[in-house]
Amino acid sequence: MAQIPNVKHSKSILWAGIFLVVGIYLFAQRPTPLVDSESAGRVIPVEKMFRIVAAENNAARELYTKNIVGYGMKVGLGFSEKWREADVAAGPLPALFLREAATSIQKSRIPLGLFLGSDFPIARSNNFGSAQAERFKMMRASSKPQFFYSPDIKLQVAMFADLAVAPGCVTCHNEHPKSPKVDWKLGDIMGATTWSYPKDKVTLEEMVQIISAYRGGVVDAYEAYLAKAAKFSKPPEVGDRWPEDGYFLPSKDVFVKEFERRASGNTISLILQANSLLKVPD
Amino acid sequence: MTREGKLKAAYYFFGTVVALLGFATTMMADWQHIYAKGPANTGHAKLTCVECHVESPGTVRQQLQAKAHFWLGMRNTDVEFGHAKVGNQQCDACHSRDQDSHPVHRFLEPRFKEARAELGVQLCVSCHREHIGVRATLPETACSFCHNDLKLKADPIDVPHHVLIEVNNWASCLGCHDYHNNHRRTVQKSVKQAYSPSVIKAYMDGGPSPYGTEKKYPTKEGK
Repeated sequence: MAQIPNVKHSKSILWAGIFLVVGIYLFAQRPTPLVDSESAGRVIPVEKMFRIVAAENNAARELYTKNIVGYGMKVGLGFSEKWREADVAAGPLPALFLREAATSIQKSRIPLGLFLGSDFPIARSNNFGSAQAERFKMMRASSKPQFFYSPDIKLQVAMFADLAVAPGCVTCHNEHPKSPKVDWKLGDIMGATTWSYPKDKVTLEEMVQIISAYRGGVVDAYEAYLAKAAKFSKPPEVGDRWPEDGYFLPSKDVFVKEFERRASGNTISLILQANSLLKVPD
Repeated sequence: MTREGKLKAAYYFFGTVVALLGFATTMMADWQHIYAKGPANTGHAKLTCVECHVESPGTVRQQLQAKAHFWLGMRNTDVEFGHAKVGNQQCDACHSRDQDSHPVHRFLEPRFKEARAELGVQLCVSCHREHIGVRATLPETACSFCHNDLKLKADPIDVPHHVLIEVNNWASCLGCHDYHNNHRRTVQKSVKQAYSPSVIKAYMDGGPSPYGTEKKYPTKEGK
């Protein structure tokens, strides 16, 4: 006489079978697993990445502020917050040049955020508030960059001092009718750049992409200025010469070459320093 | 075949036809509006689903495996299953502008925490919620989150901004200011010339633009 199978035993076999199938489906490495972007290659802590890209930004800002705006104003080139308006024959002020670059970075799909703010900004919309205001106070006191995590947006954040690097910074801010502070001096911390990135470490490949996106932003910003300058009633000659030589503007290639000459050595050096912190994830 | 058998076969046939028709609607681009969540927003009627709803990388199995590994701590990053969440990139593909007075990325700065929490201003779809057949759904008080302490040193309008703020007249903001400042126009200098809240509401709902039709940065389609 055939024995009736044990129902409880059959259920256990059935469940074991289901788990086995699900296990094979989920854990057998066929097909190839999707790339885990945080595990590929060596990694650099995000603080180092911020320091590297902030140094790039300092080089670009100094070049534009001193060599384009500073000398440019002396030879009759105009710079204005209304530079985008068709009837205004002017280029972007340094803060707006940075904003142009930041907008371009956003379009690059590299999730690097860049903002410029102050506790005494000309445009009130650039006034620091909440966590940034607190961090900015700490930065003023210590002169050290600030690094923190912003949980609601899940972003790593860094703030670096933005200094009055050229006499033009001081005079423009002290003489601007909307400026809330009129006693700026050369070398003062006038504000801070705020950077954000979604990860706490980046791969070397991502580091290169980030630098590339930043430099792309600088190029886009300068090209936008050249495009506007070409529409002036008296357009400056664009070529090898700079405003310190007269009513000239360097071409995009000349500007970029000088920017790279100033920034690349320092960037390579910082990456090599970061190399001592590189590690292969477990 | 018995009568019962014939009836059963007819049911199966009818069921198969309905299932095939349902499947066909998912395959034919012209029928996509049938299973969309709701009517397309202003100007989006001709878009196909895949222009915004992009497929996530990998096969279904790869995605499930990656998710299982992430939940068990065997990988560092999660993946999206099926279709990727619609983000700013999809909007930017058509609405990219060199200048914007309120670009969404600007709100990723830490200081806009309150505006992000209340309005989700860092995402296009927070104000331009899709599939409800309108242009935008910005609440009237939205400006108050960032501009409630506005005091201009040289105020250009007849009723100063801080006075309008004191009486909580937030509905008047868009009467003069185009949120993205993407229309070629001159901003009014008198509050009396401001467009009424009902005109602005009609525009938000998909009606004609009181700001004019000439755009500084038209969409990819030239609108």
